[in-house]
Amino acid sequence: MGYLHLSITELHNLLKEGTVTPKQLVDEAIAKAKADNNNCFEYIMEKEAYEFVDKLGDFDDSNPLWGIPFAIKDNYSTKDVPTCASSNILEGYVPVFSSTVYQRLIDRKAIPIGKTTLDELAMGGTGTSGHKGKTYNPWDETHKHQIGGSSCGSASCVAASIVPFSIGSDTGDSVRKPASYGGLVGMKPTWGRISRYGLLPFAASLDHVGFFTRNVEDSAILLDVLAGRDGKDFSSSFEPVDKYEEDLLKPRGKRIAVIKEIFDSITNEEIKKTFINTLNSLKNAGFTVDFVNFDVKLLRAVYPSYIVISCAEATSNNANLDGIKFGLRESGETYQDVTKNTRTKGFSELIKRRFVIGSFSLLRENQDVLFRRAQKARRLIVEETNRILKDYDAIYCPASPTTAPLFEKHADKLSNEYLIADNWLTIANFGGLPSITLPIGFSDGLPFGGNLTSSPFKEKDLFAIASCLEDITGLKNLSKKGEE
Amino acid sequence: MIKLHIEELLVKPVNKEVLKEAANKLMFDMSDKEYETLIEEFEIITKQMELIGEIPGVDDVEPMTFPFEVTNDYLREDKPTEPLTREEALQNASDVVDGQIRLPKVVR
Repeated sequence: MGYLHLSITELHNLLKEGTVTPKQLVDEAIAKAKADNNNCFEYIMEKEAYEFVDKLGDFDDSNPLWGIPFAIKDNYSTKDVPTCASSNILEGYVPVFSSTVYQRLIDRKAIPIGKTTLDELAMGGTGTSGHKGKTYNPWDETHKHQIGGSSCGSASCVAASIVPFSIGSDTGDSVRKPASYGGLVGMKPTWGRISRYGLLPFAASLDHVGFFTRNVEDSAILLDVLAGRDGKDFSSSFEPVDKYEEDLLKPRGKRIAVIKEIFDSITNEEIKKTFINTLNSLKNAGFTVDFVNFDVKLLRAVYPSYIVISCAEATSNNANLDGIKFGLRESGETYQDVTKNTRTKGFSELIKRRFVIGSFSLLRENQDVLFRRAQKARRLIVEETNRILKDYDAIYCPASPTTAPLFEKHADKLSNEYLIADNWLTIANFGGLPSITLPIGFSDGLPFGGNLTSSPFKEKDLFAIASCLEDITGLKNLSKKGEE
Repeated sequence: MIKLHIEELLVKPVNKEVLKEAANKLMFDMSDKEYETLIEEFEIITKQMELIGEIPGVDDVEPMTFPFEVTNDYLREDKPTEPLTREEALQNASDVVDGQIRLPKVVR
């Protein structure tokens, strides 16, 4: 019996009553992290966590994160704590500054207990390409199913009740897809809503901070803490910040659009049936729910446009991994050889292939046909999405066409199911739209989620609709050890 | 209308020589086997890339480089701040001599 399957709010109340102490929570989190068999962690912050406990001071009832353990993806800079983004090229790197996200959490007295595994440099969606190997899904003790990526460790450690919340990052769907596979709430706010200072960049025009919780209220609590302007991030927004948790239950817009072409491209009848049941319940709760059309040619171009744009941006964002200033260093006759030898050895084959796709798209002779065309497609896809969101408060569709796939899954990569239903979440990265995944059902013991996406800076509305959906499904506070 | 495949539109085609050029521009290399795997991967990728060209009017719009238009027309306050110290800046370099990062000789 432990406590870490409980929500942030429940733990806060237990801390207030004195039923449990922060040290007991850290004892439990560290013990579970050490016993973890899902490969959640790059680094367990045992020494650091107890130092934070010692410095906590008196309980603060106004601060919901006081004394709450959490984990953070290993592509966030954490001062004096190793950070390698699950890549050999950053082996041994210890940042001398902290990301704004990490700093805000520790300033609010949340207690970091570990850095979590990811697909190498966050460039993947399977949770298999980190230098420590596969990360597993706690819902499948046979270890045959993925948790998804790239925020694999952050998803697994919340699903396994090691911590009540964790931080991830989302460039294509790297928080919202693993949330679907892990029975979690995965939130990615508007581009610019949360500072990315200190987040190792993958593709700057698509990268978002995101986080995992086990219910919508906890997700709103985290955005309250993390949202806001940061002068250290040029893309950080000046838009006023709402009170997300306080306004969670206030009435909001009730117009929901379901994109017919996404729904039609799913073949799993159980997921479709469950999803339709939620639509009927939403209608009964007073929502207007309409199926709307989206040009199939645009939807089929989402994934290829994403691959071209993200890989191209990644080539320049990772140019600083040169083997000279930090991380791995290989020897060479010249400084160019040092860099070339280090990058040849330090990057895995998969990452090198992705970089070459980006570089190929950027070759002067190919740029117009590949890179610029992908950027043009992006504009048309975002315009079509925003056209829908002018008339609706949120777009709602299954987050994924399947439950957590098998590791040896071989999808038909030209099918509509793959190109559309498995990759539509990326639209929210193209348009910088707030987007949240939450569980809506189970199939063969594995959870699956629905996703709600709304217009920029409408997080308050999004949380309110998500909260209604959560009430309808009754699926909240799920974790492998301690189902409600 | 004659539909052109993406390979026919590319000035630089997908072959080992061009992919090696693309890799070397990024200051790394791959093994022959890795290039073979990549060329196989490109068979699917080029078919996916063709889907972008199937969008009506795709070439009639401006490229989108960021999610939405944001104009930041402010200047930060002209206040002194503490930069990293030399020790901090050099802390992660593996070969440091006399407060500087040592590299192979440039002039021999």
